[in-house]
Amino acid sequence: MKRLVTFSFRNKDLPPFSAAFGARHRRVLDLPLIAWLTVIWVLLWSSLNWANLLTGAVVAVVVCLAFPLPKVDLGLRLHLWGILRLAGYLLYDMYTSGVKVTRQIHGRQPRRAAVIAVPLRCRSDLMLAAVAVTVSNVPDGSVVEVRRATATVFVHVLDAGDPAELEAARRSVWRLEELTVRAFGTRDEIERVAAPPPHAPRTGERPGDQEDRP
Amino acid sequence: MTVWLQILDTAGAALVLLGAAICLLGVIGMLRLPDVLSRSHAATKPQALGMLIVLAGVALRLRSGMDLATLGLIGFFQLMTGPVAAHLVARSAYRTGQVDHASLLFDDLDEQLTEET
Repeated sequence: MKRLVTFSFRNKDLPPFSAAFGARHRRVLDLPLIAWLTVIWVLLWSSLNWANLLTGAVVAVVVCLAFPLPKVDLGLRLHLWGILRLAGYLLYDMYTSGVKVTRQIHGRQPRRAAVIAVPLRCRSDLMLAAVAVTVSNVPDGSVVEVRRATATVFVHVLDAGDPAELEAARRSVWRLEELTVRAFGTRDEIERVAAPPPHAPRTGERPGDQEDRP
Repeated sequence: MTVWLQILDTAGAALVLLGAAICLLGVIGMLRLPDVLSRSHAATKPQALGMLIVLAGVALRLRSGMDLATLGLIGFFQLMTGPVAAHLVARSAYRTGQVDHASLLFDDLDEQLTEET
């Protein structure tokens, strides 16, 4: 007899924490996604009761069935301690960056800006995206371009006249990369990130040159 | 107890004002800066900080668990979506030639883009 619902611990082909419906497993529901959508629904109604919980779950399931996402394992893992550390650093960085950018904007002397390339150590798409988002929140960085093939982010730095400033920008990108991957990455990615940062390419040097260094 | 509530209310109002002032500074900075990429700095960072401070102020005044969680959700989504929007603006500005390359000290991306073509 065919099961109507198959959970991922019964069938290893399914992505983790998901359930497949129907005899041919046409529809796959990602249970953490449904839980998250339900939480958002309850928060939007801002009261926790059974009616909200149930309608939220129903809406989440309907949304997931109506707009199915591709069946992929994104490589998202949650590490609680890593997330707390990332949140702490982010809050601190946002404070310093808010103050710093405000001061730079209102300073008298003209600034020379520049676009620098920073090679990253992580490789998965999700981690690249997460790092790009966190980098945008730190002091000197707004991401202009991300190159997926070489895992390089191109960051616009407001105050590039000072070499020490550039070095600091690169280091803060790498530090944030490590924090982000330690919060959300798979074990593979965490190992990759534990390695020392790739040699910083100087101006005009191509970032691909030093790719193979440990 | 009412003294404490009053203190919380006042602190919340002060935080909302402070956050709004930081956002205002960012907007003034946007007007002062010369090009799109620099302006995107001014448009994102002080705004994000100011938004978080305003949310903290509102949280001090609302003081109920569910509302706090909703405020947290607002902050989370703002922090997730703001950089994406800023990046798209910066990227399209760069690729459509809105960036004055002479004013940049150096530019690692330019070499890579021209290499490709």
